[in-house]
Amino acid sequence: MTGVWDDDVVEAADVRASSAPAGITETQDGPGMPAALETVPETAPETALETVPEPVPGGPALAVSSRGRDKGAVVTPSERPGEALLPAPSEDDAVFEICDLSIDYGLGPGALHAVRHADLMLRRGRVLGLAGESGSGKSTLVYGATRLLRQPGVVSGGSVRLYSRRRGEEGRVVDLLAASERELRRIRWSEISVVLQSALNALNPVSTIESEFDDVLKAHRREMSRKTRRERAAELLTMVGINADRLRDHPHELSGGQRQRVMIALALALEPQVVIMDEPTTALDVVTQREIIEELIGLRDRLGFAMLFITHDLSLLIELADEIAVMYAGRIVERAGASTLYRSPRHPYTHGLLNSFPPMHGETRRMTGIPGSPPDLAAVPAGCAFRPRCLYAMERCGTEAPALVPLDGEEHEAACFLHSGDVAVPGELAR
Amino acid sequence: MTDNASLAPALEARGLTKHFTFRHGLLSRRGRVHAVDDVSLVLAAGTVTAIVGESGSGKSVLARMLARIVMPSAGELYLMGEKVVLGQKGRRQYASEVQLVLQDPFASMNPVHRVRHSLVRPLRIHHTAGPDLEESVKDLLRRVALSPPERFIDKYPHELSGGQLQRVSFARALAVHPHVLLADEPVSMLDVSIRLGVLNLIGDLRDKERLAILYITHDIASARYLADSICVMYAGEIIERAAASTLTDSPAHPYTELLLSAAPDPARGQPTPLPTRGAPPRLVAPPPGCRFHPRCPYVMEICKTTPPPPVTVDAGHEASCWLRLPAGERRPEASSQASLPMVRGGPGLHARKEVASRNEP
Ligand SMILES: Nc1ncnc2c1ncn2[C@@H]1O[C@H](COP(=O)(O)OP(=O)(O)OP(=O)(O)O)[C@@H](O)[C@H]1O
Ligand SMILES: Nc1ncnc2c1ncn2[C@@H]1O[C@H](COP(=O)(O)OP(=O)(O)OP(=O)(O)O)[C@@H](O)[C@H]1O
Ligand code: SF4
Ligand SMILES: [Mg+2]
Ligand SMILES: [Mg+2]
Repeated sequence: MTGVWDDDVVEAADVRASSAPAGITETQDGPGMPAALETVPETAPETALETVPEPVPGGPALAVSSRGRDKGAVVTPSERPGEALLPAPSEDDAVFEICDLSIDYGLGPGALHAVRHADLMLRRGRVLGLAGESGSGKSTLVYGATRLLRQPGVVSGGSVRLYSRRRGEEGRVVDLLAASERELRRIRWSEISVVLQSALNALNPVSTIESEFDDVLKAHRREMSRKTRRERAAELLTMVGINADRLRDHPHELSGGQRQRVMIALALALEPQVVIMDEPTTALDVVTQREIIEELIGLRDRLGFAMLFITHDLSLLIELADEIAVMYAGRIVERAGASTLYRSPRHPYTHGLLNSFPPMHGETRRMTGIPGSPPDLAAVPAGCAFRPRCLYAMERCGTEAPALVPLDGEEHEAACFLHSGDVAVPGELAR
Repeated sequence: MTDNASLAPALEARGLTKHFTFRHGLLSRRGRVHAVDDVSLVLAAGTVTAIVGESGSGKSVLARMLARIVMPSAGELYLMGEKVVLGQKGRRQYASEVQLVLQDPFASMNPVHRVRHSLVRPLRIHHTAGPDLEESVKDLLRRVALSPPERFIDKYPHELSGGQLQRVSFARALAVHPHVLLADEPVSMLDVSIRLGVLNLIGDLRDKERLAILYITHDIASARYLADSICVMYAGEIIERAAASTLTDSPAHPYTELLLSAAPDPARGQPTPLPTRGAPPRLVAPPPGCRFHPRCPYVMEICKTTPPPPVTVDAGHEASCWLRLPAGERRPEASSQASLPMVRGGPGLHARKEVASRNEP
């Protein structure tokens, strides 16, 4: 080591810069931000709450599903190892269902259609992956479906239902879009919890980790004593692999991975049935990402929650999710079991996206990705939004927007005219 | 080898080290961040060398030393075999040979200038334009596959996609006719579907223009796809290097093994459980001995006290791990013996066979 230059002398604060949040960004409703628990008049009407008797034959079908989910299709477990260990999913396994959801930013002709006619179903204890590139509408979908959407966002159509089934309670269906603030308050955290994309900075910088847990537990578990709350917080922290003595730390004393684990522990604090995670590991290193995913899957196996996991990393989702939906320019363009989607993609976009991840094994051959770039949602091409980048585009694709339709029964859906039966399907989309 | 410019590697680093000192608390005590320690590296014309490592492992600091933006605390640079005199002088000349391309194309291009302006500037400063300036600019755009160039030349950065803009930053780097391109995470900010386009561009610059390229990434799959060889960095040190597919198919260092098991790989069906947990050390006080030892599933006594030497496990494949030496040779003396500044594999070091099976701690 020779001389050290003067210009290298930095303040200690700078040295931290890469590990500490660059400053505290937006605060928002949702996990970590008790703002979501804002007070509303206690007299708020509870129109949205429908009580139904417990094991409902055909379950959610009662809830006027717009897309004929009540066809009673037989679901075959896919070939994924390990998947067979879980009970075969069936219609009444649905715990959270999004039907025909459309979300705009702004009103009138200038509105940006960020999500269009989206359908998604989360099954109890399963992981549903939502993949899509930046700006495809993934976060908007989450905001809209959980009533966290802010101005100028508006839900312009569709429905979202929670099929709650807690031990020792009557099963009930909650229409989330119609639910009162009071009902929402009761549901958030305890039935559905959301870890938002900016969660790495969502912890309050001036409060300790312990008080974050305390706030959530105090608001929802009035019967808990201070001591019980502290014990529960310690237990939750240990559960996500952080030593309980970190409870007294502030967020800046934790690494990015640890902060993300705290967010996950908070989300699981009240044992919700549905956990929604928007890019929970994107900002983290691969090793930390894998640690957190291993933990999440272990917790899912133990606690049995259903998870909606959102990421742009399709290769990660294939390893992690049971089912995957692929989003492009505000629409869901394909949906299938994870291994089916990997082996037999049906939509040209999915096929191209899968070919954008270089493999870890085998011979390296030149890959091309997808020509062009994703559209600006303010200027989505008419017809199929993928048409300008699609190798197989036909005349019809320029005028009509293809709907998401079942291909091989209910379990594989794609929105592409190549599968309309009018044309020969290219070999790579027919495997 | 280094005295013959035509045979010498385009750029070579020997023992590059960077320690940042900082004041600490009210008493102004000084601390020291061991950002990069004793890194030797060869970038040859017509090759892509990848550096893979987690956040904070020192990749960017290394690239900035290679670009002479950060002054090394120790170590030497050789450009075409010529020893580089480090300091303020001669940096512009150096920049005409070695160019750095950064991660965020939106931050690295001036938003108020059209593409033409961003490309004309380096052409003027380095006197590299042909007789027709406009034609030289168009030529640059064609070289980065932005064609027809007329469609892009008058655009402002915000009118281009991330992938197109990143191509413009490559065009700007190429404007000075460099021999060496250092690309620091050039695709990590880009959408997945357009990353390959930029990676293929880098591959073409290597093949068609014989540039020596350093590709920095945390995505080991993309390194395998693009690079000829891969170096893995951990806590400021290169701990393993090998031909790209050798490194991913048969890693010789426990940390590389960890990285590989963590990387998404849909083809394997079921993810392999991570062999170990934990996080990289703080670089203010790196652990003694092997810097990976607190996380290593195979850790032995010597690992805790003595840094392992780089061991040649096969031709062109080196790993700094005590496991790679036969048990009888795991002695502290071996550490200093092998950590000579120029360890590059090849005939100088005789190959030693693997002794401990990787799966048998
Ligand atoms: N508050 C807002 N006002 C107007 N447009 C918005 C707003 N928030 C998001 N958008 C637009 O909506 C579209 C969808 O954004 P969204 O954040 O849902 O995408 P995403 O798929 O989550 O992307 P990422 O992967 O980058 O997180 C984008 O085109 C975005 O620019
Ligand atoms: N100017 C500086 N002053 C002090 N410490 C620094 C400075 N620049 C970098 N460091 C430290 O040096 C170490 C290496 O940083 P570097 O930016 O090279 O990491 P990296 O491998 O590029 O990480 P990433 O993948 O996040 O880009 C880090 O601990 C960082 O905090
Ligand atoms: S030297 Fe020791 S601690 Fe370091 S990687 Fe090898 S076995 Fe593990
Ligand atoms: Mg998002
Ligand atoms: Mg960096």
